[in-house]
Amino acid sequence: MSLFLASVGFGLVTASVLAIAAVGFSVQFGVTDVINLAYGSVMIASAYVAYFVNQLGPGVSIWLAMLVAAVLGALLSLVINKYVYAPFQRRGMAPIGIVIVSLGMLLIIEYTIQAVQGTGNLSYTMSQGPTLTFAGLILSGVQLAIIGLSVVFMVGLHLLLRYTRFGKAMRATAADRTLARNCGIRTDRVVTLACLLTGALCGISGTTFAINLGSFGATSADLFLVMILAAVFLGGPGQPYGAMLGALVIGVITEVSAVFITADYKYVPAFVILLVILAVRPRGIFNAGAIG
Amino acid sequence: MSAEIAGAQVRGAALATELLSAGYQGRPVVQELSIRVDPGEVVSVVGPNGSGKSTLLKALIGVVQVLGGRVLWEGREVTNWSPDAAARAGVGYVPQVDDVFAPLTVKENLEMGGYLLPVREVPGRITHVLDVFPQLSRMLSRRAGRLSGGERKMLAMGRVLMLQPRAFVLDEPTANLAPALANMVLEDHIRQLSATGASVLIVEQRARAVLAISDRTYVMAGGRCQLEGTPAELIASPDFAETFLGGARRPAAPTGD
Ligand SMILES: Nc1ncnc2c1ncn2[C@@H]1O[C@H](COP(=O)(O)OP(=O)(O)O)[C@@H](O)[C@H]1O
Ligand SMILES: [Mg+2]
Repeated sequence: MSLFLASVGFGLVTASVLAIAAVGFSVQFGVTDVINLAYGSVMIASAYVAYFVNQLGPGVSIWLAMLVAAVLGALLSLVINKYVYAPFQRRGMAPIGIVIVSLGMLLIIEYTIQAVQGTGNLSYTMSQGPTLTFAGLILSGVQLAIIGLSVVFMVGLHLLLRYTRFGKAMRATAADRTLARNCGIRTDRVVTLACLLTGALCGISGTTFAINLGSFGATSADLFLVMILAAVFLGGPGQPYGAMLGALVIGVITEVSAVFITADYKYVPAFVILLVILAVRPRGIFNAGAIG
Repeated sequence: MSAEIAGAQVRGAALATELLSAGYQGRPVVQELSIRVDPGEVVSVVGPNGSGKSTLLKALIGVVQVLGGRVLWEGREVTNWSPDAAARAGVGYVPQVDDVFAPLTVKENLEMGGYLLPVREVPGRITHVLDVFPQLSRMLSRRAGRLSGGERKMLAMGRVLMLQPRAFVLDEPTANLAPALANMVLEDHIRQLSATGASVLIVEQRARAVLAISDRTYVMAGGRCQLEGTPAELIASPDFAETFLGGARRPAAPTGD
């Protein structure tokens, strides 16, 4: 098997993790209007919770632990939005101010984890499953499961946003909160549910991220946050379909350059892409600005 | 003016304000304005740009903060209610700008207009709205952001029609429309709304056209009501004719900005 195909395989797995994270980030931004940099730290907090559940007993599968991580991610995201970001927004703070606040939340959460857990890395207890060969790619069962999970979430989110009343209300709220209220939509409830939903995606992406990484610590998601931002801005902030495509592009480019440039350098292309997008099309290649 | 007298003045009104002051960041733009719209009436508000017409409507439906005075809906005080409460209570509002969900399709916009309806009633209401605005039926799956100015206004009107509100609060529904289309919207659609018993409060730039469909009109300038009357009374008033119907121009009509 060629080195290129091997790196594409890794890239697809990374892209799958990234897609769950980026879609959650993007929808959360669309509905709440917050560029939530603490998202990466909520991912890691969720990954830690999954670890503790995973360690409860030999029979506790990481996939079950992931559900608990999703709940934690949902609740933590809601609390941060409701009690930190939203009060600042109500007082009329500019978006850049909220970004700084979210950076502060990122540090608070990461250092809290470090204070509790120390600086050592953790690994889940799990089996990698059988190795499978598929179209020239060699993937472990776990890697295939991550790809499958990501596809299921993307399709599920698509159906939710296009075909359900709540999904459409979420898109309406993201597009124009005042007009949504004029329609009788209780937008504060929509924002609450959207925080829970995207927070759950954040928790699940955090756990799959930790699984994919093998061993993780409090600051492990910092560079991944740059990839999330790159994927989100590539797709246009607030655009879930853009974020999916952005994740695929950024995920594959990152892993391919890890093999063909050097592993230490693998995050740089994502960062360069992010800078180029911000310079050329601040609202993303797929344009618009609200959940389309 | 004492509160008791003001109270008597709004008895029986569908929608009314008493000495309403409202504005942004605690600074009033609209000042001590009292208006009333009776059931089935078409009442218009005209005035130069920046005189506070949009602010008045936004304060009525709870988008802008009321700083003083009261808002009444069907005899109940609703001052500083929320826009979603206004929608639930039967008041349909079409803003001057940002009047449709641009990333949503035409059909989805109508569905959001009917958000408060039981799900099974939504398709029937959409059919009804498409009877009123047949042009929209050819573009149901088009994104609202792609519509022309006229189509967009029809969609905005169609969206509020979904809930069959008992009062319509319309902010310049004919802005950016070609004159022929503007007249059609005013004469056909808006007059028709009141024929079905709904009350209409409408802000308009086209003073002459809106007078033709109004039962009463308020003239605003500088956030206050300067004149009030039936169309015939206003047309007979030299002040009004001069400013709004193109008589000898005064040096400057008082404008708010
Ligand atoms: N969101 C806002 N914040 C601060 N001032 C505003 C805002 N919207 C309108 N204004 C001011 O309020 C005044 C009245 O505006 P508006 O109600 O839109 O007038 P009109 O609809 O009659 O043209 C203007 O001076 C305008 O600058
Ligand atoms: Mg206006």
